Amino acid sequence: MFDTEMLIIGGGPAGLKAALSAAEQGADVLLVDRNPYLGGQLVKQTHMFFGSQKQYASERGVTIAEILTREVLNSDKICVLTDTTALGYFEDKSVALEIKGTFKTVYPKRVIVATGAQENTLIFPNSDLPGIYGAGAVQTLMNVHGVMPGARVAMVGAGNIGVIVSYQLLQAGVEVVAIIEAAPRIGGYHVHAAKVRRLGVPIYIAHTVVEAHGRESLEGITIACLDEKWQPVKGTEIELEIDVLCISVGLSPLTELLFQAGCKMEYVPQLGGHVPYRSENLETTVAGIYVAGDVCAVEEASAAMVAGQIAGLAAAGSLGYKQNNYEAKLKDAKNELAGLRRGPAGEKVRSGLWALTIAAGEAV
Amino acid sequence: MAMIKKKATVVIIGGGILGASVAYNLARQGLKDIVLVEKSYLTSGATGRCGAGIRQQWGTEMNCILSRESVRIFETLAEELEYPYGIDYRQNGYLLLAYSPKEREQFSKNVALQNSLGIPSRQVTSAEARDIVPHLNIDGLLGGAYCHTDGHANPFHVTFAYARAAERMGVNLYSNTEVLSIEKDKGRVCRVVTSQGSIDCEIVVNTAGGHAAVIGEMVGLDLPVYPERHQIMISEPVDAFQVPMVICMSHHFYIQQTTHGSFIMGQGDPNEPKGFNINPSWQFSVELAKKITSVLPHLKSLNIIRQWAGLYDMCPDAQPILGESPEVKGFFTASGFSGHGFMIAPYTAKLMAQAILGEEPEINIDILNYHRFASGQLILEPAVV
Ligand SMILES: Cc1cc2nc3c(=O)[nH]c(=O)nc-3n(C[C@H](O)[C@H](O)[C@H](O)COP(=O)(O)OP(=O)(O)OC[C@H]3O[C@@H](n4cnc5c(N)ncnc54)[C@H](O)[C@@H]3O)c2cc1C
Repeated sequence: MFDTEMLIIGGGPAGLKAALSAAEQGADVLLVDRNPYLGGQLVKQTHMFFGSQKQYASERGVTIAEILTREVLNSDKICVLTDTTALGYFEDKSVALEIKGTFKTVYPKRVIVATGAQENTLIFPNSDLPGIYGAGAVQTLMNVHGVMPGARVAMVGAGNIGVIVSYQLLQAGVEVVAIIEAAPRIGGYHVHAAKVRRLGVPIYIAHTVVEAHGRESLEGITIACLDEKWQPVKGTEIELEIDVLCISVGLSPLTELLFQAGCKMEYVPQLGGHVPYRSENLETTVAGIYVAGDVCAVEEASAAMVAGQIAGLAAAGSLGYKQNNYEAKLKDAKNELAGLRRGPAGEKVRSGLWALTIAAGEAV
Repeated sequence: MAMIKKKATVVIIGGGILGASVAYNLARQGLKDIVLVEKSYLTSGATGRCGAGIRQQWGTEMNCILSRESVRIFETLAEELEYPYGIDYRQNGYLLLAYSPKEREQFSKNVALQNSLGIPSRQVTSAEARDIVPHLNIDGLLGGAYCHTDGHANPFHVTFAYARAAERMGVNLYSNTEVLSIEKDKGRVCRVVTSQGSIDCEIVVNTAGGHAAVIGEMVGLDLPVYPERHQIMISEPVDAFQVPMVICMSHHFYIQQTTHGSFIMGQGDPNEPKGFNINPSWQFSVELAKKITSVLPHLKSLNIIRQWAGLYDMCPDAQPILGESPEVKGFFTASGFSGHGFMIAPYTAKLMAQAILGEEPEINIDILNYHRFASGQLILEPAVV
């Protein structure tokens, strides 16, 4: 058992920024991540970011991860534990940790949950054949571990992740046979989609995977056109011979800890699934538990970083640490987050958020 | 959700193993218009959270008979209920460990009683115990008791098997339907008010598990049943190597390898307060892991993957309350199972159905009526974890 003022669970962009912001105000922070490295999803993102100038626009995700990780490791206020999984939040306000195979409990005064999100998957006959991956998993395989996933790939989902990973597959020399999108339009940013189209990858809109084939592992799939009611149209089937299928159909917040801690949750499709009620300061309905990043709304890294700043500052402030231009920084971060969500791309998130916001101090 | 029925002969409260099995037995006897209401979902109570061990090694005649007869039913239950998935029933035995002369003496009495009732249990020496469970650490062990026909089953499958069979015979089963109050007319139950509407009825069966006293209160009864949290955890699945259940009464724990390879284990906390809290604690898993690995050192490298808790419906003498209440006609209770309601449910439900239908139950269950508490005639079950 050991004590810490603030425990931050998850070392992705939200958690890293939360740690830096809290430490800067003077709080002692313990940052844990179940991976052997910090950076979360950033480490596999080899493409450049748009985002705001303040949040490292035009940098690659992996570079941002390096910068933030270095800052965190250099801070004498932040203790980092990797290969460490938070197992549960208990009634005595402790958090149980599994640290490289050993069990420990901590009694933090504040907790920031920044556990991110996990990939959704699709169910169809043989959807469990080896060779069928989440797009994010393929990205990790290639960009973090340097492993080619296969020779001929099809991608399901033409959102940002789907098209970006398709492009990275092409860059790695993998043949991308098709991108299959159930919606009647492409969801990702136009620039990304245009890149893969120029390289000759067909994008089948209003199509879905009907079935996968293969004995030991994936050998091919059948796709078909969808009607206005999203039902496959008989006679439109196309066979694709592939050894890898990437599925990129969105993310769901990783909220087990919040549920278990008793935070009030709500299913909000615009935010990616079950998400916690939170105050403007990103405190949940359980006093002392804050949230930041994809765990409270599936967005993107810039928003996660700013949310991390807000949660880190607010949690530190609630402990009395307000030494470093606190009020101004908190206000700036809140404005910046609102700004990031201002455009049409943020509309979905905005429409999901208003119902979930609780007044500060409403936490129990 | 479809509208619930406005009228029924019997309303059963609680979708655990007891509610489902009573519903089935009533329907099988030909009773019509049976309704079962469950405030959450089937198996959401103790049944879906339990260890689902089935033993006949008890210290009172009643518990011995209820479990012995239930074992007979379990043996062919999947076929009887025409349940295609099976109930994962295994008879791999139970080994009870004795660490004090007093415990050993109690086991000897229990085994004599069990044998007299046809239960094939026997006392074992500590060396024999190690033959039964080869990786057992027998330091300090004075011996034990073993019954090879004890075992376990899958509580979800068993409950769903009963429920589906009941539904096929016309029972209406409503989940997400909470009983809010019960109305009486001239000393008889006449209506159950639920969150989805009221149901006029002649008979109410209280199988609400840890909430049984709350239901009793609705008709003005003070049932001596109270809820108590019990915690439990499960490991990753591994190849089968510990076949029987091991129980240690003096250290309040039990552990068993399930059909699919996971070890499931729990312990009772003598200091657990009464109450509805079912939040797990980390102290539980740490303490239990220490105890288990001292008795079964082979399990040291096993990973725990999940822990949870449920409510025991406790009764002061650790035996259930069965039967109709003389004060409120038509109000039947089957609760107070004190941690062993799953294993005795099949036979208990059969007896309950007989009592509800006004027949003489196959065996006399009067001593389990709740009047025993007023008269002070308690027979304490000594063999509980
Ligand atoms: C950790 C643990 C381990 C156990 N291990 C074993 C074991 O190894 N072997 C064994 O035999 N037994 C074991 N038990 C005990 C066993 O689980 C119970 O005795 C048995 O499941 C009781 O079944 P039941 O149907 O009476 O109650 P429950 O399964 O609790 O069902 C009662 C139902 O009533 C519902 N309900 C309550 N109030 C209302 C209301 N107002 N309106 C509508 N519905 C309501 C509840 O939601 C619940 O689903 C264990 C229990 C626990 C907690």
